[in-house]
Amino acid sequence: MSSKRGLILKNMTKDLVVEKSAQNEIVDNSSFALQVENLSKIYDSTAGRVVALDKISFSIKKGEFVSIVGPSGSGKSTVLNMVGALDRPTSGKIYIDGIDIFSLNDSEIATMRNRRIGFIFQSFNLINRTTVHKNVKLPGIIAGMSSSDANYRALKILESLGIADKKNQKPVNLSGGQQQRVAIARSLINNPSIILADEPTGNLDTKTGEDVFDMLKMLSHKFKRTIIMVTHNPELAESTDRSILLKDGRIEKDVFN
Amino acid sequence: MNPKDLFLLSFEALVDRKVRTLLTILMVVLGCSLVVVLNGLSAGQSAFLEKQFNTLAANVLFVGSGQRSLSSFASSSSNSLIINDVILQKIKSLPNISDVIPEYTGSVQMNSQGNTQRASIVAIDPSKLTVELPNLDYVAGSTVNANDRASALVGDTIVNPPGSDSAFVVLGQTIKATSSYTDSSGKQTTVIKNFVVSGILKPSGNTMIDRSIIINLDAGNELLHKQNKYDQVIVAATTPDDVDTVQQEITAMFGKTLGATTPKAIMAVRQQAASGNAAFILMVGIIALVVGAVGIVTTLYNSVTERIREIGTMKAIGAQNTTILALFIVEASLIGIIGASLGVIIGIGGGYVMSIATTSSPMGGGGPSVHIPPIFALMDLIKVWFLSFTLSVIAGMYPAWKASKLSPMVALRRE
Repeated sequence: MSSKRGLILKNMTKDLVVEKSAQNEIVDNSSFALQVENLSKIYDSTAGRVVALDKISFSIKKGEFVSIVGPSGSGKSTVLNMVGALDRPTSGKIYIDGIDIFSLNDSEIATMRNRRIGFIFQSFNLINRTTVHKNVKLPGIIAGMSSSDANYRALKILESLGIADKKNQKPVNLSGGQQQRVAIARSLINNPSIILADEPTGNLDTKTGEDVFDMLKMLSHKFKRTIIMVTHNPELAESTDRSILLKDGRIEKDVFN
Repeated sequence: MNPKDLFLLSFEALVDRKVRTLLTILMVVLGCSLVVVLNGLSAGQSAFLEKQFNTLAANVLFVGSGQRSLSSFASSSSNSLIINDVILQKIKSLPNISDVIPEYTGSVQMNSQGNTQRASIVAIDPSKLTVELPNLDYVAGSTVNANDRASALVGDTIVNPPGSDSAFVVLGQTIKATSSYTDSSGKQTTVIKNFVVSGILKPSGNTMIDRSIIINLDAGNELLHKQNKYDQVIVAATTPDDVDTVQQEITAMFGKTLGATTPKAIMAVRQQAASGNAAFILMVGIIALVVGAVGIVTTLYNSVTERIREIGTMKAIGAQNTTILALFIVEASLIGIIGASLGVIIGIGGGYVMSIATTSSPMGGGGPSVHIPPIFALMDLIKVWFLSFTLSVIAGMYPAWKASKLSPMVALRRE
């Protein structure tokens, strides 16, 4: 990334942080962005009882870049879905910025997802009928941001990520790497407390995957964004600050790289 | 999310599925325009009939052979009495009657300076025309004498045929009437008579008179070969209050061999038929609209299924259930607004096209056809618009509710 682009993103991030503090009802003074306590998820089906997560606990500091790794069925995505408040646990608690997210009602959880959580999906999940610019500003629009503010922020983020020239294109016309950059830009628009990335490089070739990973790493190290990334790639996992290895719904290892 | 952004997102979703959206809008347009057309034609027909009967005097009855049919002036019973001078005298002898006016009616070919057209003939004592039509007036000339067999009064529609720039006939001009009949031996005979136009009638609002040529009773008897058998008798009661009594007296005297009908009774039956028609029309229209609404349900339901990942993404980035609900309701509303608006406009245009296409001779007989223009009351149009719009919104509610209740995780997992 060029130093000019980095400077723009740094300045913008500062602005967003100031505004976020003013917006949030609860200002968390602790150093943890995320706290997971005795989290369990059990699925009951005709095939039997499946324990996807078995009383796992961990905390993630603000600005940490954490990878969650493990074999298929180990519970990686389940953890991410719980942390992202997309699914409710069978038991246990999750705190984001000190807020017990599952004590909230559906509407408050939606607001939580909008303001404090940024999602990056493996298959990008962009809205293909509309432009890149609109995709990026959509969480801002949902948050009630003014049109001019959302336009400005979206454009600045796109510039920072080097895809401002694609702003009027439909995502479907972009390469996989470019689409994932749009998804990263979208996850940043509301300056969330944590960014959840579910296999963000899974649909990309090695080179593009590395570029996207570098971008996440830059966001974490230079701009102190808290990022939790689920990945199958051990090399990428080793390049994060910390790796949590899950196996059979339990934390087998929690190592700082 | 502010309303403008909500509107834009919904609009984009509709544009993204252009063909399906257009087909759904078409369903609403068809339903809405059908209601507008049928309502307009029905209102036009009612107004036309009311105008016809309002031109008639309040104290007259129409007497014809056999049981009178209320849908036409033709007799429909085989057990009918031939109306001749003897019958006229019997009717005259009844109390509360001020006048008895016989008439012959028929259809002839008219020639005037090389131009021809079919026309109705009303043969009557011309001086008694105002008994039936009190407001009758003349553009030029005046009525003809009762004994004048060579003069004629001409109705407005004959003088100025629809679609023609020049007058068919002018005052003082001679017109040739040609009639043909088949005698008892089966021989076809043609009767030709010339008449001098001595009066041109102002538009009376009574279609039968406006598209007729009115001639002397004897001239009509010869031209139409009626052999002194009258087609109809106009009976004038002493006062409008006596009409019902006179009707009862005629019925008592002649039974079912003669039929006596009052304009009021004809109007009542017409109104009854019109209100029955209106209910039927409303039902047809509502069925059409419901079909349109089912189309909206199908379209939006499919849209929810197809956009399930998009809905999941929207929820993941923080959209409230109410936002998703509103997005789909706005889509349904847009379909309703566009469909209802186009439906009303096309319905108005369609009403006029249909009224021209169905131009006919509503009273039977020959002569120029009658165009009954549809009537579109603003309040009726607004009601139909709101009905179409409301049905569209209601139709959109279930798919919208379904979308809003989707679990984001389930939606995101769906391929």
